[in-house]
Amino acid sequence: MNLSDAIAASSAPQLAPAWNARLDLEYVRRAERTVLARREHFGPLRVQRDLYPEGEATCHTIIVHPPGGIAGGDALTLNARLGDGSAALLTTPGAGKWYRTVGPVARQSLNFELGAGAVLEWLPQEGIVFNGAVAETATTVRLQADALYLGWDVVCFGRAASGERFASGSFSTRTEIFCEGRRLWLEQGRMQGSDPLFDSPLGMAGHSVCGTLLAAGRLPDGEAGRELLAACRRVGVDKAALAGVTRLPGVLIARWLGDSAEDARAYFAEVWAKLRPALKKVPALAPRIWAT
Amino acid sequence: MTSPGTTGIELARLLRLASPALPVGAYSYSQGLEAAVESGTVHDLASAGRWLGDMLRFTMARLEGPVWRRLHAAWLAGDVSQVRVWNDWFLSTRETAELRAETLQMGYSLRRLFIDLNEFEPTGIAALESFAELAFPTAFTFAVAHWRIPEQDALTAYLWSWLENQVMAAVKAIPLGQTDGQRLLSRLSENIIIITEESALMKDAEINNYAHGFAIACSRHETQYSRLFRS
Repeated sequence: MNLSDAIAASSAPQLAPAWNARLDLEYVRRAERTVLARREHFGPLRVQRDLYPEGEATCHTIIVHPPGGIAGGDALTLNARLGDGSAALLTTPGAGKWYRTVGPVARQSLNFELGAGAVLEWLPQEGIVFNGAVAETATTVRLQADALYLGWDVVCFGRAASGERFASGSFSTRTEIFCEGRRLWLEQGRMQGSDPLFDSPLGMAGHSVCGTLLAAGRLPDGEAGRELLAACRRVGVDKAALAGVTRLPGVLIARWLGDSAEDARAYFAEVWAKLRPALKKVPALAPRIWAT
Repeated sequence: MTSPGTTGIELARLLRLASPALPVGAYSYSQGLEAAVESGTVHDLASAGRWLGDMLRFTMARLEGPVWRRLHAAWLAGDVSQVRVWNDWFLSTRETAELRAETLQMGYSLRRLFIDLNEFEPTGIAALESFAELAFPTAFTFAVAHWRIPEQDALTAYLWSWLENQVMAAVKAIPLGQTDGQRLLSRLSENIIIITEESALMKDAEINNYAHGFAIACSRHETQYSRLFRS
């Protein structure tokens, strides 16, 4: 058991101070380089590193939240603004955790604004919703013309390693994508612990891990669009898992359902490896931090 | 229930809207049911009852019912911009290409019918025509509001016609006998009444469409080799 697990297990969040943390990032394109021109943090949410493992065009940014998890009353906000033509890949070094709480809601808010032609990849590690957590997460993506968003979200209900189930608490999630002010996509979920949706074949079908990958903005139509969709659909999954890919106007969605966060991430990384060369015109180079 | 109930010409109109003879092509859609049959999730009376009961309980009760009520209220108030908000809301929550195509095709066909029948005043039709993309519940609630059909009855009829269509899809796709089809309708009708009432209480932030298994089934239907239905 690591330290953050020990804190969570002690189950005394009312004694811990609520943490409001915010990180504002602003990327701009200068000549061929994307520069992280502004970073401002309040509280424990910060940039661990910005690096350029694949040339100057894309700024890779590793975001850390040293407490390792979000407890009741905490509010975490990440705002990233990408100027016209800039490109950033954001990831996290470890799983995010939603701790058990006895009272107030824990909130996470992600706000991404992409200027014309900008590309944002939001590829975090999974989020684990502990039994008893009361969590709310909201993601809003605003795209200007010709911008591209590639993002995924893997959620584990309960700590699978210890056989824990998400029996009490609640989990709310909202993801919204706009392109030039027009809403392309909205998904709003609310599940109570032991919600019948967990066992339903329409919901989690008895599984504990689900994930969604969204590619939005400048997607090819016509034959190129069909080929890309077909390529994503060819990505296989283990027998015990389920996956499906579909394409709506301006959005491609891949979904995964199973019991292993690692398998979910591997599936999405493979779909991402199909999408990235087609949409961003660069090979998919897995961030090294994923391997550690 | 305090609803005075629908009688007379309103009742006849409501029956017409809810009838499988309404030429909007509802019978050509299974909303993921055919994919669930293909995968083996739905294979007999009991598993079909589970699937349809859960469809009612989750996607209809938690999303379509509450949105239907908001669309209806906006039409009643003559607030077309609010109708637009919920029409767009409904469309942007369609989980897959086929589900989106389904509601748009049915919405389009129902509007076409309303125009051809010449039963509505021109300002109403003009409002309807101002939608580039019209969802089926938006077109349905338009007629309900203009005919002043009591909301509770109209939503019950809407959900009933959805259920009847799904049961017919189950009878064809599994297949099931006609009596088993009636068994499903008999049992699930009770759920409709509960959902109709529950959907009145739901706040905007509580509306939800988080149904991963359903969305995956619908996505997989798009590449299903052998199929009778368009969703």
